[in-house]
Amino acid sequence: MSATHPMSVSEGVAVPHACTTCGAGLETPLACGDCGMMIQPEVDVSPFAVVGLEPSYQLDERDLAQRVRKVARLVHPDFFAGAGPTMRALAEAHGARLNDAHEVLKNDVRRADWLVRHRGGPSEEQDRQMPPAFLMEVLEWNEALEEGAAAPAGSAARVALGALEEELNALRQAELDKIESALTPLPDAGSPALAEVRRTLNAVRYLDRALRRLRDLRVGQPQ
Amino acid sequence: MGYIELNLLDNAPRRVVVGIDLGTTNSLAAVWRDGRAEVLRVEGEPALVPSVVNVRPDGSLVVGRAARALALEDPEHTVFSVKRFMGRGLADLDVDLENTPFRVTETDSKLVQIHLRGRVFTPQELSALILRAVVQQAGRALDGAEIASAVITVPAYFDDAQRQATRDAARLAGLEVLRIVNEPTAASLAYGLDQRKEGTVVVFDLGGGTFDVSILSIEDGVFQVLSTNGDTHLGGDDFDRTLIAFARRELADQVNASVFGTPLFQQAARLAAEKCKIQLSSAPLAELVLQLPELGVHLRRIVTREEFQALIEPLVERTLACCRRALDDAGLETSAVDEVVLVGGSTRVPYVRERVAAAFGRTPHTALDPDQVVALGAAAQAEVLMGGRRDILLLDVTPLSLGIETVGGAVAKLIQRNSSVPCSVKEGFTTYVDNQTGIDFHVVQGERELARDCRTLGRFQLKGIPPMPAGMPRVGVKFHIDADGMLVVTAKEESTGTTASIEVRPMHGLTDKEVDRMLEESYARAREDFDERRRVDLVAEIGTMLRHTQANLDTARRRLDRETYDDLVEAIEAAAEAQGSTDLDVVQRARDGLDRASIPLAAVLMDDVVKFAVSGKKLSEI
Repeated sequence: MSATHPMSVSEGVAVPHACTTCGAGLETPLACGDCGMMIQPEVDVSPFAVVGLEPSYQLDERDLAQRVRKVARLVHPDFFAGAGPTMRALAEAHGARLNDAHEVLKNDVRRADWLVRHRGGPSEEQDRQMPPAFLMEVLEWNEALEEGAAAPAGSAARVALGALEEELNALRQAELDKIESALTPLPDAGSPALAEVRRTLNAVRYLDRALRRLRDLRVGQPQ
Repeated sequence: MGYIELNLLDNAPRRVVVGIDLGTTNSLAAVWRDGRAEVLRVEGEPALVPSVVNVRPDGSLVVGRAARALALEDPEHTVFSVKRFMGRGLADLDVDLENTPFRVTETDSKLVQIHLRGRVFTPQELSALILRAVVQQAGRALDGAEIASAVITVPAYFDDAQRQATRDAARLAGLEVLRIVNEPTAASLAYGLDQRKEGTVVVFDLGGGTFDVSILSIEDGVFQVLSTNGDTHLGGDDFDRTLIAFARRELADQVNASVFGTPLFQQAARLAAEKCKIQLSSAPLAELVLQLPELGVHLRRIVTREEFQALIEPLVERTLACCRRALDDAGLETSAVDEVVLVGGSTRVPYVRERVAAAFGRTPHTALDPDQVVALGAAAQAEVLMGGRRDILLLDVTPLSLGIETVGGAVAKLIQRNSSVPCSVKEGFTTYVDNQTGIDFHVVQGERELARDCRTLGRFQLKGIPPMPAGMPRVGVKFHIDADGMLVVTAKEESTGTTASIEVRPMHGLTDKEVDRMLEESYARAREDFDERRRVDLVAEIGTMLRHTQANLDTARRRLDRETYDDLVEAIEAAAEAQGSTDLDVVQRARDGLDRASIPLAAVLMDDVVKFAVSGKKLSEI
């Protein structure tokens, strides 16, 4: 297990806390809300820090959206269209950082994945296992899925997919609830609880793939 | 203020930034003035510039209304719907080439070429001509202000090649592109500013050739696109085509099928179908009239709304399928939608409105002019980009997933569709053999699993990797989709810090060199075009002057001295003769001569007018 503590990135001194131009306190390390200057942080900033949050699994969606809008007003390229090439490039880079942070934070799975990795837990590549009880059912679901996908629209096998979709959706929520309680409060760095969360996450990823398949069958393939 | 005052002198040309909707059927410009967006139109003329180009027998180019009027007279040299060719190769055109009245070929780099009177045009060049016409009209509407930059709109579902083609067209038209904005997003901005409402809005944008649906959340002045879907080859043109096919079926017994292949039939059928479709939007039935005695075609057929609906039903169904996918991607049910806004001329079709209303369970918002709302939104966005408004912000998404081809032809997705832009992703590459200094990779856009089923965005070649054992180099490639929705790729060899250079072979596009060459050519041609334009204007002016002087020739003979009268008659003869000249100098001299020679006559006439006006009045009343 990795001994590094990447959390220090957002907790330590590497992330600026005051504007280098006007000295005002910062709500985001990307720009100063007071004087409007963009800042070029020297390290990769954690997605939580980008919007001025401490790492945590629990998160208020409305609050997050508001924070993202606030930072967007400071760094979006639209506000630097008339600036020089350096500022425009920085706005593009900051805009991308903000959007990436938003993607990670608003998505339960990606947020949990980030927290597990940055607490020193195993990555998806390092631990691909799923909880054993879950694995038993996967075979059954796959079979139902294949049968339904091959069957013509309106057939019994196809109609049964509706129930399967409902079942998997409920299960997905239950797995996410498990992840939430395991990550609240955040386990210590390197705690075995992190490996357990990783396996639950792997199960959720399987469910997401199956649900995507079911959705495509229901809505119609994207072009 | 939508423009920068570069110079405070009163007579210096103002520099203005406009919003331009470069449409399949019509184009137009709008500007932000006095706190609101307004369409730029010349008094007494329509605002819309038809996106039509015609090449005259002498090689001169006619754009807009004049070109549209030549469609039947000169069908083989009149180009419509050029937007459908932008950024596409022949294979993926999805245009009915058999029913296209002009010849279309493609280059080795899959760039479409349109042949007109021995000249070859790329879609980019033809679009540039349309942009120039729009800018010219906008300049006239703004009393000669200089328009150097613009926000240009594109369908949200346009891919990278189509966006690049649009940007190149603007460059060829001498315009700086401040931003490429998605049409439905621009429309939502116009809607939001007009209605001052917030919430979840669906923009249903069915234009002449393209369909987009975007779902947005409007909150605190931030217009955030949640998802977008569409079809860049689905629009009013396709509605027309169903009526053309209908007309052909009706005519099948009357004429030989070879008639249908003639340019005259094709253009006439297109215009007749369009007219019938438009009439059906306000009447329960309309007549489809196609009278071409030279081809033996005589068709007068009443078409009912029900018949038309049956024809377009599959097309409307396709738009609704896109809506379902967009809702699903946004994770929303129809009940979460606060408003559905209709944009694009084809949403005037009652059946489209009906089906949209049924699909979303609410009456759509139709208060905005569907032809103008996109340009108005683009003008508002221009104002934001110029620093005029910081209270509104557009946050858009990329419509298609971006990936690279992996071994075996599968696609590794790097950026998912509906990701907010700008966005970046870094991908590591390494070498397979010792001392390999280059790596090729194939970037694609689309949702399919196999690279061959997606659209090629470009083939990139990484060069300048330091020679090392296989697998040692760590080349970090950054894929960045910018605020225009376009891809920028940069690379760095991380173990040595060498910046690897990247070469791109554009697909269906122009290289920078080609754009530069075309620009040079167009400057040379612009001079000619300008001279020709000036000559035509002068000839018209001479016509007016001649009518006026000849009508008053009697007065001139009676009231002017002999020498002045003779001068005038001589100038009239010279001017009449110069009307037929192709030499700008000759025409200019003749016009100036007539202008000078007619001054004494004008003085006499003016005198009469004044005398007549004041006769019988006291001095104090004058």
